[in-house]
Amino acid sequence: MRSEGNPCFFVFATRRSKEVRLLYHSAKRRSSSRLMMFIIALIIFIFGLGLNLSVGASDIGIIDSLKYLFVWDGSKEQLIISTLRLPRTLIGVFVGASLAVAGALMQAMTRNPLASPQIFGVNAGASLFVVASLVILPASPYSSVIFAFAGAAAGGAIVYMIASSGGMTPVKLALSGMAVHLFLSSMTQAIIILNESGEDVLYWMTGAIDGSNWQDVITIAPFSVIGIGLALVFSGSVSVLGLGDETAKGLGQNMNGIRILISLIILILSGASVAVAGPIGFVGLLVPHIVRKLIGEHYQYVLPFSALFGAILLVYADVLARWIAFPYESPVGIVTAIIGTPFFLYLARKGRHLK
Amino acid sequence: MKKTTRKQKRPLLAILILAVILIVLSVISIGIGALYISPDAVVTNLLGLDHSFEFIIQQYRLPRIILAILAGAGLAAAGAILQGVIRNPLASPDVVGISKGSGLAAMAVILIFPESPVYVLPFSAFAGAAIIAVLLLMIARKKSIQPSSLALSGIALGAVCHAGMQYMMVKFPGDVNAALIWLTGSLWGRNWEEVKLLAPWLLILFPIVCILIPKLDLMSLGDELAQGLGENANRLRFILIFTAVALAGSCVAVVGSIGFIGLLAPHIARRLTGEKAKYLLPASALIGAIILLIADTLGRGIMPPVEIPAGILTAVIGAPYFLYLLKFEARKQ
Amino acid sequence: MRTYSNKLIAIMSVLLLACLIVSGCSSSQNNNGSGGSKSKDSRVIHDEEGKTTVSGTPKRVVVLELSFLDAVHNLGITPVGIADDNKKDMIKKLVGSSIDYTSVGTRSEPNLEVISSLKPDLIIADAERHKNIYKQLKKIAPTIELKSREATYDETIDSFTTIAKALNKEDEGKEKLAEHKKVINDLKAELPKDENRNIVLGVARADSFQLHTSSSYDGEIFKMLGFTHAVKSDNAYQEVSLEQLSKIDPDILFISANEGKTIVDEWKTNPLWKNLKAVKNGQVYDADRDTWTRFRGIKSSETSAKDVLKKVYNK
Repeated sequence: MRSEGNPCFFVFATRRSKEVRLLYHSAKRRSSSRLMMFIIALIIFIFGLGLNLSVGASDIGIIDSLKYLFVWDGSKEQLIISTLRLPRTLIGVFVGASLAVAGALMQAMTRNPLASPQIFGVNAGASLFVVASLVILPASPYSSVIFAFAGAAAGGAIVYMIASSGGMTPVKLALSGMAVHLFLSSMTQAIIILNESGEDVLYWMTGAIDGSNWQDVITIAPFSVIGIGLALVFSGSVSVLGLGDETAKGLGQNMNGIRILISLIILILSGASVAVAGPIGFVGLLVPHIVRKLIGEHYQYVLPFSALFGAILLVYADVLARWIAFPYESPVGIVTAIIGTPFFLYLARKGRHLK
Repeated sequence: MKKTTRKQKRPLLAILILAVILIVLSVISIGIGALYISPDAVVTNLLGLDHSFEFIIQQYRLPRIILAILAGAGLAAAGAILQGVIRNPLASPDVVGISKGSGLAAMAVILIFPESPVYVLPFSAFAGAAIIAVLLLMIARKKSIQPSSLALSGIALGAVCHAGMQYMMVKFPGDVNAALIWLTGSLWGRNWEEVKLLAPWLLILFPIVCILIPKLDLMSLGDELAQGLGENANRLRFILIFTAVALAGSCVAVVGSIGFIGLLAPHIARRLTGEKAKYLLPASALIGAIILLIADTLGRGIMPPVEIPAGILTAVIGAPYFLYLLKFEARKQ
Repeated sequence: MRTYSNKLIAIMSVLLLACLIVSGCSSSQNNNGSGGSKSKDSRVIHDEEGKTTVSGTPKRVVVLELSFLDAVHNLGITPVGIADDNKKDMIKKLVGSSIDYTSVGTRSEPNLEVISSLKPDLIIADAERHKNIYKQLKKIAPTIELKSREATYDETIDSFTTIAKALNKEDEGKEKLAEHKKVINDLKAELPKDENRNIVLGVARADSFQLHTSSSYDGEIFKMLGFTHAVKSDNAYQEVSLEQLSKIDPDILFISANEGKTIVDEWKTNPLWKNLKAVKNGQVYDADRDTWTRFRGIKSSETSAKDVLKKVYNK
């Protein structure tokens, strides 16, 4: 189920000295505790799915919710479950997993625990294009998803181009990302202000998945799956990236090639997420932190765990989003921020120890 | 080497030229707006010989121009100090999250308590900046402050404030547009009241900055060296950051969270006058004043009667230039 | 250690301070703006900021909100300046025809220079949006601040009376108000006695749907006509999802839509939409966004009220 292709593990296993055998056993213990954690997380996840399906403005109990997944009797409740809630839950899963993995990758690339996909210019670019399309070309028949994608790609491309000119270093990536983010958000604000249309775009800009439908699921699913899949396949290289350029070169990795690939994956994952759900923050920042605290720095494990934990976070945040102002919705992006803030402050103080 | 001897002559000259540019731009700027007023009419109105444009010049444009100069100078000086203290050329009040903090507080006032009297807004904006500064100091205190770490901590704090702001916009959908305009930073509607609000702060802070200038040079030598010379590095750092926050906070309180000035002005100044604080600071202040003045003037004059908030123009001009600087600096290394 | 450049800074600061003091002095002497003259024709107007004295019959009026335009135009005056968000069409729609005026910019940031160049003798501003430029406006002309953005229907009526007084047209104002009340009462009478369907208006945007509850302006108009409002709340606006809309399931639904694709187009493809009572009974109607939610004046409320009755009862 998860990638056990850890080459180091393999190396250990083939040597026969005593200390290696001890290490082997402690590693095995660690791996069994990891397994435990994964199983617990999975249980929490499945429970969260059930919760997500059953909580909402209309009263539909858990048993009934699950029932309506399979029994299509055309009743109002069943329609709600299958056309509204199920896609929404799925979107929560995909977006949460994608953002968390993108965040983990971002933090590995910049070698800084406070990086997140937001500073890759993706969110700001998507927002700019969406706002521009809503305000300047309101009659366009294209949905905001396409614009968001285009904007995300544009933002990411600019950041990448600037950061990589003259050789990319983590510092430069972080800073050019920040500058592009600030620039694009200012432009977005400019358009909103000059058009007096704050309220029109507000809801999108906070990140919301309550309007999700099957079209959105179809949009994000392939990107999510491909992106996370690629990330898992190359997770070994990601770990190496975190070790530093010289070490990496010593181990024979093609640094530039890896960086391009990982940047692409980050773009795909966060671009698809923002296209479908708007800019949701904190998931990409927070989840990799928590995961690393629990299971260490090996990206072979960090990545799949991040995906799972990210999905959990978003699914539960979505449930909370429906409770805060019951029976009305709050955008889920705000809830992740509410949960994220205390966590973040706590981590930032302790986080110095992580690197 | 040839470079250093050439640089010794330049700083004072550069500062003088900047001052002259500032004065000339101010006079021109008085003439620009929805109505164009020729320079000679400007002069006669200022001297009181002519009263035809009295409201526009005396009540509307002049206070704005003075405010632009003061706020631009204050923000730039704050940026220069931060960059010196944190020993990183990319620190500035908006990067470090201070502007977002005051934005959060200001938005709370605008959206949640729109009935409150006019002076509550600047005070709460200042309080917001102060809170973020404290948080940042707490986060960054343990380790020596690395460039990307501080920038990212600031961004993260800014992101937290941003989320808070969005929450408020959704829960209290009052005048969202007004809140956004404040966030972007604008000099619209600012008049002598705001000048009177800001000037005393700067009058107190600028001399303090002057006194601190030699200490700033010491700080850039590094903690050990500074301590070897008898300075308590931590206390000095604290005082300097506090001054920078006070400067930035008071400016932001009055004009909104205008971005990029604190980041950009010291950079440009550095290329003209080098690293020595006693030249860098006045040059940054002058350049900051010039930038904000130009931004506000353009904002007033490009498409009347619509005014483009100055903060938008500083971003439109500032960001690409900053990115260009990033590229250029990288290639040097 | 006084260096050369420190002295430079000191000199410059002193110079700057001197400039400030001189300018500040000269500005505070110019407290004209015709706020202090007491001719025998002056009236004291009570507005949100306290009291303002207005004398004579203002002819050159600048209005900074749409509901004020509605009022002023109703009293027979064409303002010389309007804050129109640069949307001349919107003004044409409100007034019913093309009028000659100068745009003073957006409602949130009206251009004080243009206002001053129009040499107005009365300015009507919004109590909340323009409170921080109130003092400056007063220097240009007598200014009254009234609630517009956050006003209820009753407050709009009061504002109308205040504006009439300021324009020295109190009698005409009373007449117009009486006319308006008659129109509304006539419209109320057209409502069938046994009308007990509930009704609500929603604004459809590209990515969200926002219901206007009983405490919104249009909500008040519905209630005034005698309808039951489908959503009772103290918050004027509330975003809802399709799930919630189907829970609320109003009998009559008015939709104000932005141009272009809105979320409702997406919802229409969902069977839940077709299940809505309003959809099944063909009681979903268009509501023009400007007239219904932006204009908020006396005349516009009449227009919206007539619109409701026409659409619901097919007159």
